Amino acid sequence: MSTPFAAAVLSSSVLSGTSLLYATLGELVGERAGIVNLGLEGIMLIGAAAGFAATSFAGNPYLGIAAAALAGMAGNLLLGYVVIGRGANQLAAGLALLFFGFGASTLIGRPFMGAIVTGLPRLALSELGAFDLLVWLALPAALLLWCLIFRTRWGLALRAVGEDPAVAFAAGRRPGQLQYQALALGGLLGGIGGAHLSLALAMTWDEGMTAGRGFIAIALVIFAKWNPLWAVAGALVFGAAEALQLQLQARGADVSPFLMTMIPYLLTLTILVFWGWSRRSAAPAALGRNFFGVE
Amino acid sequence: MTRRRLLILAGLLLFAAEPARAEATLTVGAIYVGSVNDYGYNRAMKDGLTAMKEAVPGITLLEAENVPETAEAERIMEGMIQQGAKLIFATSFGHQQFAFNLAKKHPDVVFEHAGGWMQAANFGNFFAATQAAWYPMGVAAGKMTKSNTLGFVAGVPIGFIIGDVNAFALGARSVNPKAEVRVVVTGSWADKAKEAEAANALIDQGADVITMHVDSPATVIQVAESRGVYSIGFQSIEARALAPKGWLTGLGFTWGPFMTATAKSVIAGSFKPAMVRQGLGEGMLAVAPFGNAVPEETRGLVLAAVDKIAKGYNPFTGPLSDNTGAVRLKEGEALGNDKMGDFDWYVAGVIGKAK
Repeated sequence: MSTPFAAAVLSSSVLSGTSLLYATLGELVGERAGIVNLGLEGIMLIGAAAGFAATSFAGNPYLGIAAAALAGMAGNLLLGYVVIGRGANQLAAGLALLFFGFGASTLIGRPFMGAIVTGLPRLALSELGAFDLLVWLALPAALLLWCLIFRTRWGLALRAVGEDPAVAFAAGRRPGQLQYQALALGGLLGGIGGAHLSLALAMTWDEGMTAGRGFIAIALVIFAKWNPLWAVAGALVFGAAEALQLQLQARGADVSPFLMTMIPYLLTLTILVFWGWSRRSAAPAALGRNFFGVE
Repeated sequence: MTRRRLLILAGLLLFAAEPARAEATLTVGAIYVGSVNDYGYNRAMKDGLTAMKEAVPGITLLEAENVPETAEAERIMEGMIQQGAKLIFATSFGHQQFAFNLAKKHPDVVFEHAGGWMQAANFGNFFAATQAAWYPMGVAAGKMTKSNTLGFVAGVPIGFIIGDVNAFALGARSVNPKAEVRVVVTGSWADKAKEAEAANALIDQGADVITMHVDSPATVIQVAESRGVYSIGFQSIEARALAPKGWLTGLGFTWGPFMTATAKSVIAGSFKPAMVRQGLGEGMLAVAPFGNAVPEETRGLVLAAVDKIAKGYNPFTGPLSDNTGAVRLKEGEALGNDKMGDFDWYVAGVIGKAK
């Protein structure tokens, strides 16, 4: 009756990596526009709480996804106002958003704690298995985002703003507006990433339930070299790391459980060390810097 | 009399009237590590405190949920002491050091910590001896399993938790020698996503009865229910509401009597610090009602095991070997309650590594 090991790890990795993928894609869009969002964890939490609250209130998990997306977008737009509108330091503003996210998500989720919801139903859309809608949409989302960034005018303008906003401005683009749009899209994706945790994986809400996934997603953007397709690979690898250690334990592997829980984080460190070895960085040149030019 | 003097007189009378109206009041402070809506550990603590408040007249209860196991806990408890609390319940394992620090600073306030070992003149420790109580749970699981694989999701693998797993396995194998227990450690008392993944991993490995020792049984039970396997609850007997089809039985803490007795002793001034570890027999733990899936014969076996434990049977009696084959307890040896925190090995029949 037990599932073969490889199949179990794969399905576990996909489930685990989906929320990471959405969050990574969200961060990626913002960073392509030159804005680093350290508060991604906060956005994911807001998304998870809002999604769970809406689902519990309305009884429909798909409404929950919509609520999570909107809530994430609102959070990111707040960051946008602080960074673009007021010119605040991006790193500090991101961290402020992180703490704001913790508090706001607790506030939203508190009345619904302990509520029992029908989570996202699993749909067997192909022979690969039965997963919820967000898992099926993850890969298409990454592909769409790749097309958006690398094959559209909007994407070209976005990348230009991320490389050198002064040049983009001189060419007639409006860096501020593009950055706001990127952040809105990024927040939408980040919120959905959080919603997957509370509506599909755990089907409950708890304070701080993202447990650092937002930060892993930020590292994954670097791992993915700011390319949505590599982000898919990265999210799968990290999802697998977490899934693998739990599946290995269930199998009875002869390794200390303490070492096992370290695996995902060791993997993060190892990959970042080796990935950063090359001198040439693929980061957008103006990442982290604010553009104070005339709008 | 002028209006001003009338007002002053009224104020003084009100002041004077206060002490005559109230009886022996006690302000009790309690900090929870999570939310009381967790169908688990914190819910059980809240239920115990509510029972204490109803049993002892004149108690004011100050509560704080989601208090992390960091120096923040010390600040929150200090705040409660400033509000007049004379009895503080620090309900989570990780609150111990911070409560102990405050106990040294405030010798007139009594502290009761759940699950640790420290003691002082105004600092006592309490918990339920959960280990032996898992034995009848194992009996239920061992009888109900068809795949002979039982799954246990453990939070932090400290000795007490390993002891729980061991008693569970011993109980299961006492009625079903082929039963095996697989253990997955999540590394945290409350990481819902990991608990869901751990439960899924165990079910993937063929487990058809799932149980856990984490702060809230909710996630694990809901995963079990969604995948159609049986579940056994822990921490709070209210968790059975989560699994209408798969619930077998469960354990729940009943802290009410202990907390009531402690509050009364503080009011009377007769508090004595102690390391309190009581079990099924003394009423610190209760067995939850059976689910519909459990047949009469199994219920009888489980209740018989509960009775045996309540009368003092110790499942950790030799001869006992661990899951590598090494002999741990010889004929005639037994592990007492004080040794429950020292476990770093699993009994035969448990698939997993303790350290």
